[in-house]
Amino acid sequence: MRRLLGSPALGAAVFAAGLLLAWQVLVDQKLISPVFFPSPSRTLEELWDQVASGRLWDPLAATTLRMFYGFALASLLGVVLGAAIGSSRTAREFLAPLLELMRPLPASAIIPPAILFFGLSAKMATIVIAFGAIWPVLLASVHGFANVERLLQDLCAALRLSRRDYLLKVAFPSAMPDILAGARVSLAIALILAVVTEMQASQPGLGQNILLAQRTYRSPELYAGVVTLGILGFLINRLLLLIERRVLRWQAAQQ
Amino acid sequence: MTRLLRGTAIPLLLIISWEIFSRTGSLPMDTFSRPSAIVAAGASGLADGSLLTATWQTFEAALTGFAIAAVLGIFFGVVLGLAPRLEAIVGPSIDALRPIPAVALIPLTLLLFGFGLKMEASVIAFACLWPILIVTVVAVRGIEPRLIEVSNALELSFAARMRKIILPAALGRITVGLRVAIGISLVVAVTVEIVLNPRGLGYTMIVAQQQLRSDLMYAQLVWLGLLGWGINALLERAVSRWPGAGVPGSDA
Amino acid sequence: MPVQMKEDRAVQAAPARGAAVPAVSVRGVSMAFGAERKGPEVLADISFDVGEGEFLCIVGPSGCGKTTLLRLLSGLIRPTAGEIHFHGQRVSGTSRDRAIIFQDYSKALLPWRTVAGNISLSLEACGVPAPERSGRIRALLAKMGLSHTARHYPNQLSGGMQQRVQIARCLAQQPKLLLMDEPFGALDALTRQKLQDEVARIAGEQRTTVVFITHDLEEAIYLGDRVIALASNPGRIAEMVEVGIARPRNQLETREDERFLAHRHHLFGLLQDASFSP
Repeated sequence: MRRLLGSPALGAAVFAAGLLLAWQVLVDQKLISPVFFPSPSRTLEELWDQVASGRLWDPLAATTLRMFYGFALASLLGVVLGAAIGSSRTAREFLAPLLELMRPLPASAIIPPAILFFGLSAKMATIVIAFGAIWPVLLASVHGFANVERLLQDLCAALRLSRRDYLLKVAFPSAMPDILAGARVSLAIALILAVVTEMQASQPGLGQNILLAQRTYRSPELYAGVVTLGILGFLINRLLLLIERRVLRWQAAQQ
Repeated sequence: MTRLLRGTAIPLLLIISWEIFSRTGSLPMDTFSRPSAIVAAGASGLADGSLLTATWQTFEAALTGFAIAAVLGIFFGVVLGLAPRLEAIVGPSIDALRPIPAVALIPLTLLLFGFGLKMEASVIAFACLWPILIVTVVAVRGIEPRLIEVSNALELSFAARMRKIILPAALGRITVGLRVAIGISLVVAVTVEIVLNPRGLGYTMIVAQQQLRSDLMYAQLVWLGLLGWGINALLERAVSRWPGAGVPGSDA
Repeated sequence: MPVQMKEDRAVQAAPARGAAVPAVSVRGVSMAFGAERKGPEVLADISFDVGEGEFLCIVGPSGCGKTTLLRLLSGLIRPTAGEIHFHGQRVSGTSRDRAIIFQDYSKALLPWRTVAGNISLSLEACGVPAPERSGRIRALLAKMGLSHTARHYPNQLSGGMQQRVQIARCLAQQPKLLLMDEPFGALDALTRQKLQDEVARIAGEQRTTVVFITHDLEEAIYLGDRVIALASNPGRIAEMVEVGIARPRNQLETREDERFLAHRHHLFGLLQDASFSP
């Protein structure tokens, strides 16, 4: 019991609860405006209402699917292109500057051209998400495929492994840690762009919901939406970490 | 030398064929524009100052947000880094706030501040705060314990301790976090401007798109890319000259 | 250990004159790196033969080009001058008949595959169908004393075990030539001795031709039928010595054998000079 009382987990919970309580009191005492800072109880109430009535699921699904499709497309293309570019010295020399130029470009900057081409549509959203999310995983794949351990390359040459076998059995698993690290960033970008494109193009989803909530001054709904997005962000990161741990379980194995 | 030539070959080829196909009519002007028009639009944008004004607006927001995040992040990072028990208590709350995508705060800050600089800077500050905070905590944790003992023995005030011992020792790692944060600040700034804030480069791009001025829009895009690349290059150069690297007690 | 006739292999140490084609024939091989291969020569005018079933040790100071020579023999790189022949055929690339064991075992094994998976790679490369593989893997594991590690990952094993896995993987290729690049250099003395004896045993059983590179003079004399001492800068043959000690050899007795000590004395001085000679 003593251990529990002194444990950091309890302390953390008390701290968090304390913050929320302070906020609640400030709102109840009208020290801060409930229009801009709805109380935690109101926000929770709204969130619960959305879950219970089922209003949450459609926009949540819309955002999640949008993000996921864009991410999947970006990852597939990113790994395939990354493999092709990374494992060929010539390709790297020709394409490296172009890739480096794209690296610092904000993904959202592609939105205005995308609107020109595709209008304010779901198609525009998918393309923006895929285009924005591809860079981290592409660059990581190029790096991974370009940096296969020299001895392993020699081994494959000595065994006369076919190019296909080399790429699938050696280069790809070797690049996996890099690819997964890039994928995590890509997924985060996919989520951001999903929200952004929803706001931009009025596509159904959590992003559009919180923008509408702001326009109509429904702040509990706004905050509930932000909380939902935070939870979504947390869950997908966890999921990817779990996948990473499973795929890379050989890394954790120690003597 | 061949590597340089090879690297520029494809971009040059793309630009030339873009120009040619545009002039032959295969690529419609209002969506594709052409390199010559883009350069012209860019030049005139620079000349009449509109590009620079927009750039300054974006920078203003990015720097403001970054500065807020840096001050808060480093301060709390040092505090939490020096007091692991405190960090254990506050940590989970931080971990709960961190996964919120900064862009989700756009409607929120709009509600609080309306359009303009404040709202944009707040979103940027939120986005930049976490990397700086986390890196600072790690950096402070990594300081040679003996240095901290020395600072205690000398009975320095908190401010003096920060200034003379803690910050210099942790600086190397912290600057890495700051570099990442600057990159984030620019990206978030442009994003907020594209989505709804009527100021800065992002906004000018949306306006150009709405006016079907594809040449101007692409010029701004290229300008943005050059800025991002230039800032990255500058940062890398600055960091390598930073005195923080090589200070005993930090493994910068 | 099976009882073996103490055959005196001194007669077979050098390739018999006028007899069958030597397993490996190196003629006037030079190797230069750098831009357009005009840089300083790492190896200069190396010539020697390796007989069928012979265990040849090449010893020399660091930087004398031993590893380069091994990579040339495997076909991973091509010489700037001269020719290498394997069973009468010109070496112009790699071949599964020539297996190479690298010194840095931690980097030469696939960390994401288990021990069994690593050995399987060779079998897959050789086109062995899946049903047959597990049986072969099991046999190889048993042969190298690795049966209990089949499902382990390389980074869970000690250095000696990892090197055993590498050897097992090479044996899976059923190579005619075994090229070993200072395989025991990073291991502790006890493990090294155990593995030395294992390699000697396996090579003897299969009658595999072995070219074994080391900087450890005693290891070279202990293991080899013949020892080539390389000088450095550039790498060239300083001396070729017939070991002439009967097999099977013994860590204790062989190392006290008068011939062993004689070779050691003789080559020791040579190598000391060789490491300083221009």
